[in-house]
Amino acid sequence: MRRNDPLSRIVDGLSSLKLTLVCLSLLMVLVVACTLAQVNLGIHLAVDRYIRSFLVWYVPEGTSLRIPVFPGGGLAGGLLLLNLVLAQFRRLELSWRKAGLWTVHIGLALLFVGEFATAVLQVESNMAIEEGQTKSFSEDYRRMEVVVTDATDKEFDEETAIPDSRLKAAREISDPALPFKLVVRAYHENAQLSMGGAPSGATAGVGAGMSVAPRHPVTADGEQNTAVALVEPVLKDGRSLGVYLLSNGLGAPQGFIHEGRSWKLALRLRQYRHPFSLTLKDFKHDRYPGTNIPKNFSSLVRLKDPAAGDDRDVLIYMNSPLRHGGLTFYQASFGKDDTLSVLQVVRNPAWTLPYVSCVLVALGLLWHFGLMLKKSLGARNS
Amino acid sequence: MKLNRIQTAVFAGALALAAWPLVAPAPRSEFDLAAFARLPILEGGRVKPMDSFARSAMLSMRSKQTVPVDGKSLPPARWLLDAMFKPEAADTYPSFVVDDPEVLGLLGLDQGKTRYFAYWQLEGKRDEITNQAMAADKIESGRRTRFQKAVLALSSRLSLYESVKNTFMVSGQGDPVMEMAAFSSLLPAAMKAFHGKKPTDKDRRVMAALSEMLQRYNFLAQSAAFKAIPPKEGAPADDWTNTGEALGNPTRGQDPHPSLASFALMGRAYRAGDAAAFNAALAEHAAWVARYRPEAARSARAETLFNRSSPFVSGMALYLTALLLVFAAWATRREDVAAASRALALAAFVVHSLGLLAHSVLQGRPPVTNLYSSAVFVGWAAAALGLFAERMHKKGFAVAGACAIGFITLIIAHHLKSSGDTMEMMRAVLDSNFWLATHVVTITIGYSSTYLAGMLGIAWVARRHLLAKPDPAASKALSDLAYGVIAFSLFFSFIGTVLGGIWADQSWGRFWGWDPKENGALLIVLWNAIILHARWGGYARERGIMLMAIFGNIIVSLSWFGVNMLGIGLHSYGFMDSAFLWLSAFCASQLVLMFLGALPPRFWAEHRKEA
Repeated sequence: MRRNDPLSRIVDGLSSLKLTLVCLSLLMVLVVACTLAQVNLGIHLAVDRYIRSFLVWYVPEGTSLRIPVFPGGGLAGGLLLLNLVLAQFRRLELSWRKAGLWTVHIGLALLFVGEFATAVLQVESNMAIEEGQTKSFSEDYRRMEVVVTDATDKEFDEETAIPDSRLKAAREISDPALPFKLVVRAYHENAQLSMGGAPSGATAGVGAGMSVAPRHPVTADGEQNTAVALVEPVLKDGRSLGVYLLSNGLGAPQGFIHEGRSWKLALRLRQYRHPFSLTLKDFKHDRYPGTNIPKNFSSLVRLKDPAAGDDRDVLIYMNSPLRHGGLTFYQASFGKDDTLSVLQVVRNPAWTLPYVSCVLVALGLLWHFGLMLKKSLGARNS
Repeated sequence: MKLNRIQTAVFAGALALAAWPLVAPAPRSEFDLAAFARLPILEGGRVKPMDSFARSAMLSMRSKQTVPVDGKSLPPARWLLDAMFKPEAADTYPSFVVDDPEVLGLLGLDQGKTRYFAYWQLEGKRDEITNQAMAADKIESGRRTRFQKAVLALSSRLSLYESVKNTFMVSGQGDPVMEMAAFSSLLPAAMKAFHGKKPTDKDRRVMAALSEMLQRYNFLAQSAAFKAIPPKEGAPADDWTNTGEALGNPTRGQDPHPSLASFALMGRAYRAGDAAAFNAALAEHAAWVARYRPEAARSARAETLFNRSSPFVSGMALYLTALLLVFAAWATRREDVAAASRALALAAFVVHSLGLLAHSVLQGRPPVTNLYSSAVFVGWAAAALGLFAERMHKKGFAVAGACAIGFITLIIAHHLKSSGDTMEMMRAVLDSNFWLATHVVTITIGYSSTYLAGMLGIAWVARRHLLAKPDPAASKALSDLAYGVIAFSLFFSFIGTVLGGIWADQSWGRFWGWDPKENGALLIVLWNAIILHARWGGYARERGIMLMAIFGNIIVSLSWFGVNMLGIGLHSYGFMDSAFLWLSAFCASQLVLMFLGALPPRFWAEHRKEA
């Protein structure tokens, strides 16, 4: 007999089939909404708004109001996962007859966990290499960093990188490697730069004569933000070295000399350093004869990783990425008359989970529906 | 199933009918059209017969494979010959379909009498059409108005026709044999003149004449619709050229490709109406191809045979007849009619299967590669499943569902054909037979079975409203069948969806990108899961399951076609506007059916009679 205390009733509710149906229906609505919203919002923003959120917010135009209107994918998915796990232990007996359902549900739970882990852990970046070039870092088109370089030594640059998340959050940034602190006067995720007009507040470098007009950040695939930071290096004694306007829309880094050391300031796409290097030996863009229909894109690269003892040629092409050092390199794009290859670089520790899940669910469903079919055929024959 | 005598007769008769186009005598003509139709050419990145090119060009220009001339319908190969060698005649054929009233207004043509117009009727406004099309082309495809889409389509059809006219000779001008002879005789002298130190007046004349010719060949090289000159012996198999390319390079011209002369002779003979000379030149070229490019000749011959047999058209007719027979069996309650309907459905399925197999083998790909082949395959898998399910409940429901889906999907495929080559080459990321065979096929089977369940739901609703005498056993059988099919469908749609994710992980580095096509597949999975859980929980009983199954039709259709109409995402291939109307109409019809099913029992036929 079931107990009737409040806790059991909550657990009953959370493990009920009704909740399963509600969550599945909510997910359907969210998926439809997310698909339709992609037309205007672009895929990233639509997914962030509907799927990778706990609540879907309605923001009336021109106000700062945020009204929750619908549970988001995180809430519906999370509830469904909880419901799945509880129902498993509360309702499904452990028997051969139910073994199929057990396997299916474990597989599904893994799939959810995998998608959640991906949302949290996956880091995507790009590596654009020209033929003959060697690179050991990749760039993130969606994130920025301010980099302070000690360029005194001609042979070796000492870099200090400050990610955009810190620029947005902090007013002042100090780093033991720097003899000055950086005061962040302003940070715009996206802005238009122009010469003349209202002064930006910059007092040194090329930004002094420029104006900054903030814009809505863009999110669609293929669009690039022009981030702008107004930073002021301030010495320990409180003396300012001037306000610099930094942007990935500007070309060369700006610099100053302080106590005999040459410093350079720049804002650029965030870079991830890798302990190995890739050299692009050849990029190929094959077309079907007599047409412009692409047949294949491939990059022949030399992978050098002293620590792992790797020094070999790898061919990266469509549907055949290179997996190395916890990263996966995919053929993503190309340019400069087919002499530049862009590889997408993904770090996703959870990438194997869907494979396991797929096998589990397939086996479980086969087992379960197989039993049912056998039963149904048996009933007919008797 | 074991066939009795009637069934054997029906089955064999149906197959014989379907095979008829293969053995039927060709329409009488002194020109050897059949041999011309199976000449291999290179177009759209692959070797195909003239026949396939002519058919798909006709389809894209006038939405039909033949054109009526003087009360007779002109076969595609004949139309192609006329357009290439006798364009002054072809210009008068009603080869273009123009539907849009605003475009007709632009052209100053009457609407109402006919939708089909000849090139000469449009030629005067060619510049205007080009200008309008260029303006429309600048606008993003999703935001174009109906007029802009129509004028773009017309412009590209006209360009296609013009390139056909300029494939072998410049709009049928001059005598190709004389031209070839003049070119060959001029070439040595001209080459000498080019290299000579002090050109004489004669040298200048020779050079001017040659440069005029070369300009013409350069134009032909740019404008030709396809490449008909096969690679020479020893050259790479992809190295096909068109006439202009083959002639235009003087070093090649010194040692002209033998097929150039054959085509020149064919052109002259065809213009002169000299069938014997045409056939002789054709035979010579065909013999060269058979000798030096046997693989191209073989595949082109096979594809021509496939085109002629048009298995999907016969299949469509057989499915429809079988469906009508099932209805007749229900109306008359005669077991022999029911048996005949099953035999006919089986014959339709066999024809469908052979067609699918042939298309796959010719393309060298798994059965589903584009929207067209997905339609053919959805119908095939639904038919297979339906015929199998019929063995469990012999009431005709599953066969009816199988035939209905087979018929409808083949019609859809037939209409999708006009959007281009059905064996088009696969773009780089899709060029993977392994994933096409696993992910695409599995997910498509998921579509098929969801449709079959939906059809069973429709049958259930129809019975409620048409049958005065209730038959709970039959309703129960229908619902059990639908349940089994939905379970099947959940299996395939889930596995197919996850395999798609794994493919995406292999090619883009993300397992799941929330791309519209992925979302569509996920919706099918979610919906099937909802139906099954609602049944297990007892929230939906017989009627609920059946109505939900009908809603499955909407979800699959949106996932299959609807997401392509969003025009976004990595999967969007081909934007179809007219299809949007059909899709909306279909979804509306399904909602009406669900509404009819949801009406309280006093509206059902059995109760209406009592009232």
